[in-house]
Amino acid sequence: MLAPPEAPAAPRRPGRRRLLVPAVAAVVVLAPLAWLWQASLLPGTYSVTDMGTVDDGRGNAGHAGHAATAGGRSVDSLTEPSAGPADVRVELVAREEPFRLASGEETTGYTLNGTSPGPVVHAELGQLVEVRLVNESVRDGVTLHWHGLDVPNADDGVAGVTQDAVPVGGSFTYRFRVHQAGTFWYHSHQASHVQVQRGLLGALVVTPPGGVGAIDALALVHLYDGTRTVNGRSGETPVAAAPGERVRVRVVNTDNAPMSVWVPGRPFRVLAVDGSEVHGPGEVRDVAVEVTGGARTDLEVVAPARIDLGGASVLVGEQAPPAAPRPAATLDLLTYGTPAPLGFDPAAATRSFDYVIGRSPGFLDGVPGMWWTINGHLFPDVPMYMVAEGDVVRMRVENRSGEGHPMHLHGHHAVVLSRGGVPAAGSPWWVDSLQVADGETYEIAFVADNPGVWTDHCHNLPHAVEGLVAHLMYEGVTTPHRIGGPNTPE
Amino acid sequence: MKSVYRVLAYLIALEVVIQAAAIAFAVAGLGTWIQQGGVLDAASMESETTEFTGVAGFMIHGLNGQIIVPLLALALLIVSFFARIPGGVLWAGIVLVTVVVQALLGIFSHGAPVLGLVHGALALALFAVAAIAARRSEAALGAPVHAPAPPAGVA
Repeated sequence: MLAPPEAPAAPRRPGRRRLLVPAVAAVVVLAPLAWLWQASLLPGTYSVTDMGTVDDGRGNAGHAGHAATAGGRSVDSLTEPSAGPADVRVELVAREEPFRLASGEETTGYTLNGTSPGPVVHAELGQLVEVRLVNESVRDGVTLHWHGLDVPNADDGVAGVTQDAVPVGGSFTYRFRVHQAGTFWYHSHQASHVQVQRGLLGALVVTPPGGVGAIDALALVHLYDGTRTVNGRSGETPVAAAPGERVRVRVVNTDNAPMSVWVPGRPFRVLAVDGSEVHGPGEVRDVAVEVTGGARTDLEVVAPARIDLGGASVLVGEQAPPAAPRPAATLDLLTYGTPAPLGFDPAAATRSFDYVIGRSPGFLDGVPGMWWTINGHLFPDVPMYMVAEGDVVRMRVENRSGEGHPMHLHGHHAVVLSRGGVPAAGSPWWVDSLQVADGETYEIAFVADNPGVWTDHCHNLPHAVEGLVAHLMYEGVTTPHRIGGPNTPE
Repeated sequence: MKSVYRVLAYLIALEVVIQAAAIAFAVAGLGTWIQQGGVLDAASMESETTEFTGVAGFMIHGLNGQIIVPLLALALLIVSFFARIPGGVLWAGIVLVTVVVQALLGIFSHGAPVLGLVHGALALALFAVAAIAARRSEAALGAPVHAPAPPAGVA
C-alpha cells in the first residue's frame, strides 16, 4: 500500500479566517436572540407591583417599583368591614379526583364537595357570605375567585396577588357582602387555565329579596372533555314550568371563548348581562345572543320554550319546540334596551388608559413563540394602570391581535361607551367580561371605588398564560404576595 | 458540515410534507366528528379538550410550524456559515425568510382567512427552496473538497 501523500500544511491566516468569518456570522445571528431570550427570563418569584410600566392615565409612564408606596395599605387589610356573623356559610372542599358527571360520563379533574360543577352558592341581596375553602388534595394548590362580584380585594382569590394558593391540607375563608343581585360564578385562580377547564368552578346566584318574580333557573355551561354540559349534564336539561309561565334562565359561560344562545321560534328578552339588569329589555326573536368566556346572560322565556346552547339545550316546560339551527343574526347589546342614567359622568374622567392587544414573535420567560402584547410590549413589560379611589376611569380596549379576547376586569363593573367610535345607544351595558373581537375597539368607563390590586386579563385562560394579563392598581396599596413558587395564578 | 446542511434542508422539506398531511388529517377528522353530532364553536375550539380522530393533527401542525421548523431553519442558516457550499448561505437565508413568513401567515390567517390561501401555496415554495438548498449541498459534496492552494508567495 502506498502511503498517502502528505497534505500540504494549510497556510495559517486563510485557515483562521475561514473559521473566523462564519463564527462571526453565527454570533451576529445568535447573539441578539440569546440576549432577547436572557432578557425575557422571569425571576423565580416577583411582585406584580414591581412589574411592567406604570401608566398614571395622565400621559405619564415610568418604570414599575417607583409607584409602590412604602408603608401603604396591604391588600390583606382590604377586607369586609363587618365582623358580624355571616348570613350564608358554605364550606367547599376541593379535591383532585376522577368523577362522574350528572349525566353519567366519567372524567378526571377537580371537584368541590365531590361534584363538578361545585354547589350553587345562593345569597340574597345585602347578605354577608362566608365561604371556607379547604384543599383536600389539589396538588398545585387552589383559590376561589368570585367572578363578576366586586368583593374586597383580600377576597378576590388571585394566587400571588391577593393571597397565596391554598396548599393541600390548608384552608382560606372568604367573606364578602353581596351588593348586587345577579348571576355570578366562582372558580380557581391558581393554575386557572387547567383547574377551571377541569371543573374547579360553580355558580353564585344573588337574588333580590322575594325572588325574581318568575321561575328561576340556572344554566351553567361547561365543556368536560369537549362535551357541552348544562349544570354538569350533557344533552337536554329540563326546567319544570306550566304553559304561559315566565322563566328566567341564567346562562353562565365558564369556558374560554364565546358561545351562542338562541331560542327557536319563540320571543325572549335579555334581562341581565354580567349580573347587571338591562334597562327596558325589549322582546326579540330569531337572533342569537353571544355569551363570551366568563360572561353571564339572563334570558326570560315563556313556557314552553327551548334554549339552544350549541350541543346542549334547556327545555322549559312540556312540549318545547324542536331544535333549530343558530339564527344568522346576533343581538347587538350596543343598541339593546333603553338608555338610563349611569350614576357617574364618563366625560369627567380623571384617568384615561389604552389597552391595545397585539401579537408579536418573541420570548416569554425563555420560550420562543408568537405571544400577545399589551400596548406593543410582551409580558412582563405590560402596563400597570394606576388609579386613586374616586377616580373616574376611561379605558380604550383595542384588539389588533388576529383573534378575539374576552377581557375581564376584576373587582369593578365597567360600562361600554362606544364600539368602533359608535356610541352605545341602548340600556347601560355594564360588563365584567367583554368580548373584543379582532379589529374592534371598545371604550369603557368605570369608577375606581374598590381599592386594591386588580387583575385585568383575557379570560381565554391559556391566553393569560401567554401574557395577556395586566393590573389595575390603587395608589398606596401594596401586596405581600408574590407570583412564582407555589403561586401561578394563570 | 455539508452533510449536516443537507440533512437539515431535507428535514425541512420533509416537515412540509408532514405539515400538509397533519392538517388534512385534522380537517377530515373534524368534519367526520361534526357529521357524527359534534358541535364546534369558539368556546369548544378554545377549550382544547375536544377529542376526535385527527385532533392530534392540529397540535402537530401548530407545534411543528411555530417551533420545530423555525428552529431547523435557524440551524440551517448557522450551519451554512461553516459549510462553504456555493450559494449555501443564500439558500439557507431564503429558507429561513420563507419559514418566518409562512409561520406568520399561518397564525394571522385565523383572523384573515384569505392569508390561508397564501399559506397553503407558500408551503410548496418552501418545499422547493429547501430541496434546492439540499441539492446544492449534494453538488458541493460531490465536487472536490479543496481547490489546491496556490503556493506561498505567488499572487
